[in-house]
Amino acid sequence: MRKLAIVTLVLGLCGGAFYAVSAAEKAAEPAKEAAPKAPVECFESRKGASEITQRDIKPGWPNVKCSPKTGAALWYGDPYDGTVPMGKMPGLENIPEGHAVIKPRTEKLALMPMCGVSCHNGVGPAFNPPTLPKDKKPKPNPTMEAMVPDLANLQHGRGRIWCMDCHHTTKRNMLVDHFGDPVSFDQPQLLCGKCHGDKLRDWRDGIHGKRIGSFASTGKKRWFTCTECHNPHNVQDGARNRGFAQLQPEASPQLPRGMKDASHEKLHPIPH
Amino acid sequence: MLSVSALMGSAALMTMSDDAKASTEWAEHFQKNYRLMTDEEKAEARTRLERRYSSEYGKKVAVDTTGPQPGVLMGYALNVRKCIGCRRCVHACVEENNQSRGTRPGEKIEWIQVLRMERGEFSKDKMNHGYPEGLGIQVGGNAYTPAGQVLEGQYHYNPEAVPEKDATYMPIACMQCEKPPCVKVCPVRTTYREADGPVVIDYNWCIGCKMCMNACPYWARRFNLTKPVLPKEEMNPVTHYLGNRPRMRGVVEKCHWCLQRTRHDRYPACVEVCPVGARKFGNLLDPESEVSKILERKNVFRLKAELNTFPKFFYFYD
Ligand code: SF4
Ligand code: SF4
Repeated sequence: MRKLAIVTLVLGLCGGAFYAVSAAEKAAEPAKEAAPKAPVECFESRKGASEITQRDIKPGWPNVKCSPKTGAALWYGDPYDGTVPMGKMPGLENIPEGHAVIKPRTEKLALMPMCGVSCHNGVGPAFNPPTLPKDKKPKPNPTMEAMVPDLANLQHGRGRIWCMDCHHTTKRNMLVDHFGDPVSFDQPQLLCGKCHGDKLRDWRDGIHGKRIGSFASTGKKRWFTCTECHNPHNVQDGARNRGFAQLQPEASPQLPRGMKDASHEKLHPIPH
Repeated sequence: MLSVSALMGSAALMTMSDDAKASTEWAEHFQKNYRLMTDEEKAEARTRLERRYSSEYGKKVAVDTTGPQPGVLMGYALNVRKCIGCRRCVHACVEENNQSRGTRPGEKIEWIQVLRMERGEFSKDKMNHGYPEGLGIQVGGNAYTPAGQVLEGQYHYNPEAVPEKDATYMPIACMQCEKPPCVKVCPVRTTYREADGPVVIDYNWCIGCKMCMNACPYWARRFNLTKPVLPKEEMNPVTHYLGNRPRMRGVVEKCHWCLQRTRHDRYPACVEVCPVGARKFGNLLDPESEVSKILERKNVFRLKAELNTFPKFFYFYD
């Protein structure tokens, strides 16, 4: 009995000592890092739809540098960070296996995991036989309108296309191609190209859109897919005059010495 | 002869010293023009600089000396229709290329300028006005106002959001001319065209006479009027001798198409960061490269083509 008590006492003491040591270590840790910083996040092309979190991929070498002014991605430490192979793409057969990579879109789509499960799961009495709208001008329901404001008169296609031209009828977590076959949200180019053929051709050749990484024509590149830059549900956006949503510009250059403002730039030349 | 050997002796002594800066500066005084250096001399210069920068910036700095790659002639194309004037390229360039970023006059250097041009309208009120008034007009009333497009650009525009409805944007940096006037005028021949296209500067031989700045028709060159302000933590440690290695006071610098990246088959920083994908870079000798495809398929123009500088930077639109 006494033996047991001694053993317990010794164990207890050791435990206490161990606890004290680990507590000291814990206390030392934050001091080493000097005030833990909140994670820095920035967006690539579409604000709110292409965010990346800055982290060090090796000491002092971040995956991305973010602009403190606009929250835009300003520099890539690793162009392939967070990418996966693009998958089959007609016309890109000459590119060696694994040399065309993309960032999966599905990760960025918050509602994605629910789409094919909660409402459009294709099972239950309501779907048997499948209850699809009678025509291609369905009465929009509030849930969907909350997601796509101009649903009643979708401006993409200027009212000439409807949901099921792009989304798969029964697999709602998929898009749809011309044959009615499902297309992953990670490969929107297979869908968009069915109308925007000229853009698809330019994109395939690297003229439209963006690629980063190696510049050699067969080198490894991260390709930006259609929806990384364009919001298909919002193609008309107020004062902008191009297919790209407006964003805040980075800081303007330093003014020449002694100059208070740049109003001189607004003057047109002295007449005659 | 005696004095030379004495100098060499003290040079050797200085090189042995622990002060990386002093010893390298001394050795740099005896350094040849980069173009004329042998491979061994390049390697020496590289080791010297790596040592000096590493101690100066408190991290391991690499100074690359990779030469032109066989079969590569670099070319650039920019879609003026796509550019939204966001200036991300300007700032990406600063992050990459170790430009001075202080706040006092002359301490902030940017290589890319984005020019905003107004898309004005012709007005009905001015159709019968102009100069001289009434006597057979020589200068129409829509001259001097932004009618159609004015060419006097604004560099300091600062709206809440871009693109603005009434403007177009045109980024300008070094055009890497095939017949570069800046190279012609350099009295010490420290700026020259590399075999793979870019026009580079050996900063060590630049005497700061600014002749090239005067000669360049594209306002591409910048002068380090002050000691460059480059905080340690912001310094990019991956550098090239002819590219983004830290510069000294009194030398000229400019865009070199990110040699430290492009010599290793990586896109320039501005290409990677442009949110609209307006910037395109590639090998002009490869018919499959994006620039070759653009030259083949799109309407392209060279800025100030009439000057016969033959830029390898093309503007295009679709
Ligand atoms: S743009 Fe100017 S600096 Fe660049 S190569 Fe031509 S003349 Fe030289
Ligand atoms: S980053 Fe692209 S869109 Fe923005 S100013 Fe530069 S070229 Fe234009």
